[in-house]
Amino acid sequence: MSTDFTDLQLDALREVANIGSGNAATALAQMLGREVELAVPRALALPLADAVDAVGPADASRSAVVLPIFGDLDAIVLLLFSDADAATLCSLLGVEAGTEWGDSALGEIGNILGTSYINALASLAGVSIEPRPPHVVTDMLGAIVASLLTETAGETDIALVLDSELDVQGVACSMSFLLLPTAGGVTELLARLGMG
Amino acid sequence: MGELAVSASADDELVSIGLGSCIGLTLIDRAKAVAALAHVMLPNSAADESAPPGKYADRAVPALIAAAEQAGARRVRLEAVIVGGAQMFKLGSGSTLDVGARNTAAVRVALDAARIPLRAEQTGGSRGRTVRVHVGTARVTVKEAGGQDVALFGGARAPRPTTATGAR
Repeated sequence: MSTDFTDLQLDALREVANIGSGNAATALAQMLGREVELAVPRALALPLADAVDAVGPADASRSAVVLPIFGDLDAIVLLLFSDADAATLCSLLGVEAGTEWGDSALGEIGNILGTSYINALASLAGVSIEPRPPHVVTDMLGAIVASLLTETAGETDIALVLDSELDVQGVACSMSFLLLPTAGGVTELLARLGMG
Repeated sequence: MGELAVSASADDELVSIGLGSCIGLTLIDRAKAVAALAHVMLPNSAADESAPPGKYADRAVPALIAAAEQAGARRVRLEAVIVGGAQMFKLGSGSTLDVGARNTAAVRVALDAARIPLRAEQTGGSRGRTVRVHVGTARVTVKEAGGQDVALFGGARAPRPTTATGAR
């Protein structure tokens, strides 16, 4: 794949993120019975190290739900919560954060949001893709993001990050929603969008 | 990330924050109090010539040796400490091998090729880590996510080799 993207391609990818995370926000709102606000997504194509920095401070503790996507294009869906946001979300669902039940609830949220996101992506781009079961970890943000991006970027130095913020109204709870396509996945996605 | 740092100032501390599958590779000359640290992300550089020198294990080791020598270290006294190489996620994508383990193996091979002894390591597992290298005391500490800094190498009372053991 080429190592840089045109502005037009990044706009198209941002629109994909917008539609995908819009779908995810709707699913979250139905699940929680609360309004969910969506910030304008970012589409970042950066060298690996800069991409990790762009996501947030490396030493910050985050709960992460990782949902691998495979099929016509391979990607990773990543949901990130601060410890406080994870606790709020778990309490909204009536479980305690940091327990097996809490992790399971976060994983289920990741599953539902991630599936909503990729369903939108699938119908938009006309691709057939499926999620694998979610993984939940709590660790340093830099370690989480760098470990995933070295997987998706492979031997290329450019990582593509589609980054959305979901904000649950009425309680202090927000989360980052990221799509990390593999190098081959981006090429495929752009081709399907007529932007290759 | 992918970068490398070197210092001969006793008060300096070199830090790599949030190592997952990446490796914090430290080279130390204790007698000269020179330390160098690289944040290695992937095993082999392949065709990626424009990447920063610390990014790939195979290029990071020679680059780090050169940087340490430039700062006054003697190559024959260099000792290595490695931290990281975790497998944080088992994504089961089949074709993807464990990058953390491959990084660890590649760094070991590159150190062997350069005949730099590996004195201490904390690698593998599934947790992210932060490594700190205090230049003056050659003390290396590791902190796992949510944990405390734990000494891995060196410090004020570290034994000094008194006889040369010859090249291995």
